[in-house]
Amino acid sequence: MQLPVLNNTPSQAEHGAKGGCSASSCGTTDNQMDSLPDSIREKVQNHPCYSEDAHHYFARMHVAVAPACNIQCHYCNRKYDCANESRPGVVSELLTPDQAVKKTMAVAATIPQMTVLGIAGPGDPLANPERTFETFRRLSEEAPDIKLCVSTNGLALPDAVEELSKHNIDHVTITINTVDPEIGAKIYPWIFWNNKRIKGIKGAKILIEQQQKGLEMLIAKGILVKVNSVMIPGVNDQHLAEVSRVVKSKGAFLHNVMPLIAEAEHGTFYGVMGQRGPTPDELQDLQDSCSGDMNMMRHCRQCRADAVGLLGEDRGDEFTLDKIEEMDIDYQAAMEKRKVIHQAIQEEMDSKRLEKAVKAQQHQQEPKLTTRPVLMAVATSGQGVINVHFGHAKEFLIYEASPEGVRFISHRKADQYCGGDSTCGDGESVLQLTIRALAGCEAVLCSKVGYEPWEMLEAAGIAPNGEHAMEPIEDAVMAVYKEMAAAGKLDEKNEAVRANA
Amino acid sequence: MAVSIIDLCVNCFACEPVCPSHAISEAKPHFMVDPKKCTECEGDFPVFQCASICPIEGAILDSFGVAINPPGSLTGIPPEKMAEAMAELQSH
Ligand code: SF4
Ligand code: SF4
Ligand code: SF4
Repeated sequence: MQLPVLNNTPSQAEHGAKGGCSASSCGTTDNQMDSLPDSIREKVQNHPCYSEDAHHYFARMHVAVAPACNIQCHYCNRKYDCANESRPGVVSELLTPDQAVKKTMAVAATIPQMTVLGIAGPGDPLANPERTFETFRRLSEEAPDIKLCVSTNGLALPDAVEELSKHNIDHVTITINTVDPEIGAKIYPWIFWNNKRIKGIKGAKILIEQQQKGLEMLIAKGILVKVNSVMIPGVNDQHLAEVSRVVKSKGAFLHNVMPLIAEAEHGTFYGVMGQRGPTPDELQDLQDSCSGDMNMMRHCRQCRADAVGLLGEDRGDEFTLDKIEEMDIDYQAAMEKRKVIHQAIQEEMDSKRLEKAVKAQQHQQEPKLTTRPVLMAVATSGQGVINVHFGHAKEFLIYEASPEGVRFISHRKADQYCGGDSTCGDGESVLQLTIRALAGCEAVLCSKVGYEPWEMLEAAGIAPNGEHAMEPIEDAVMAVYKEMAAAGKLDEKNEAVRANA
Repeated sequence: MAVSIIDLCVNCFACEPVCPSHAISEAKPHFMVDPKKCTECEGDFPVFQCASICPIEGAILDSFGVAINPPGSLTGIPPEKMAEAMAELQSH
């Protein structure tokens, strides 16, 4: 089955084939999900990991039930969780399938917004078929209103497709970093296959074949497939556009490129050997070039494998093992309650989507600006509004405003470029680091900005703005953009700006 | 004749299901090989299954106490390079 090519609406094409997340449809940039077939759109639309607006309302969680792995990736240190799905250096508490089922139902009953349960580690879920499938089997029976998803390195995928299709698992994520065994040998030193450890190109070739075969089999079964790739400068960066093309032509609905994060203290091959990760501009350029022919996921924050909560928010502490043991969950009752709440959320989302569509139309009818695009940072805790104080923001959403409209670009952690240790700049304050993380942005929209940061932001050429508190992000970004345009700040063509996102 | 798992083990579970003799079990502080059950995979496989999937260099020793996967053999990180990086980190 071949899916239609995303992001190829005419307005996108003349936009230079930019794409991006479905968040940003205030301008003429069509909501890219509109071009997906209905059956798939429905599955994706309310998925907190795939839909930018849904992830303000719905939550997903992961349970760590699968410790073993059958391959080695050069960016992974197996003392920690699978680096394909988790931030490097994180260790999650391993659960038995029984504990995982209890925890999932406890969370679902307490946080009705929790709609998706994923198994993503700490190793490869499909290298632990018994533990993974028992969890899925029980949840399909006992909590049928929870969607299930799984991510894998793909080696054991072909053998698992049949079983996966039985459990109503409609999202599978495969990490595919290459389709070329020679490149593969630089990423995967070995695999365990047919009772042997196989190293080098031979091992990489088998892994690649299994990934591609698994992808094809899942599509043939009608199961949604997302592909993750880790961008490794000098290794697969030039090659990922090809990967994007291949997986798209086979029917993957989404391709998510994540930056390599390599630190010597993680003890990984890349970390120790000094392999660098991509800069934010390199990542964005690649995401842009891939999104020309594929839907890209830009709001992925490389969540923790055992994270609980809305993306970017972690409520794991409320559900430790001792706490869930004490909870007595009546899931039938919880399911009734969940249904009512889901309906209310759905209505709110529908009305907001409608509102957005109306605004997009109005925007189209207004005289078109000819000003250059501008990046702005936004502090929000969700619900699609500006509602976080500058000093409290742990991360910023970066939006690009242009005459075409507003589009979501990426997330930046306030401390993204610093592990908080001595390696980055002597004596820089958190404030300085945060301002550095906002490099390239010309405005920052928050609910409030304090006096000291205000001055420092201005000095750094970033206009602080607290005038749009509680307003919808895209409206506010557009309003600020129009003010800047009216003030004549955007007249000169500044091509360098976009590349700094 | 038996292999053994030492404290470098990170408890990743990978070896346990692949052992043809059911000689490996989860234990504290790390996985253990029951020397009475370990057959060194004789008659089942030409190579030690546990040591063929174990991702940690040095975690599994042969019956002479020698690491089946010596430093550098799995990660590809030359041992000197690893020592250098660790020294660098310590100095901070
Ligand atoms: S698949 Fe995941 S757990 Fe396995 S080596 Fe790669 S990053 Fe690590
Ligand atoms: S050598 Fe073979 S029999 Fe012995 S513990 Fe390892 S896998 Fe089991
Ligand atoms: S495979 Fe190695 S690291 Fe993993 S549990 Fe077995 S001995 Fe320990």
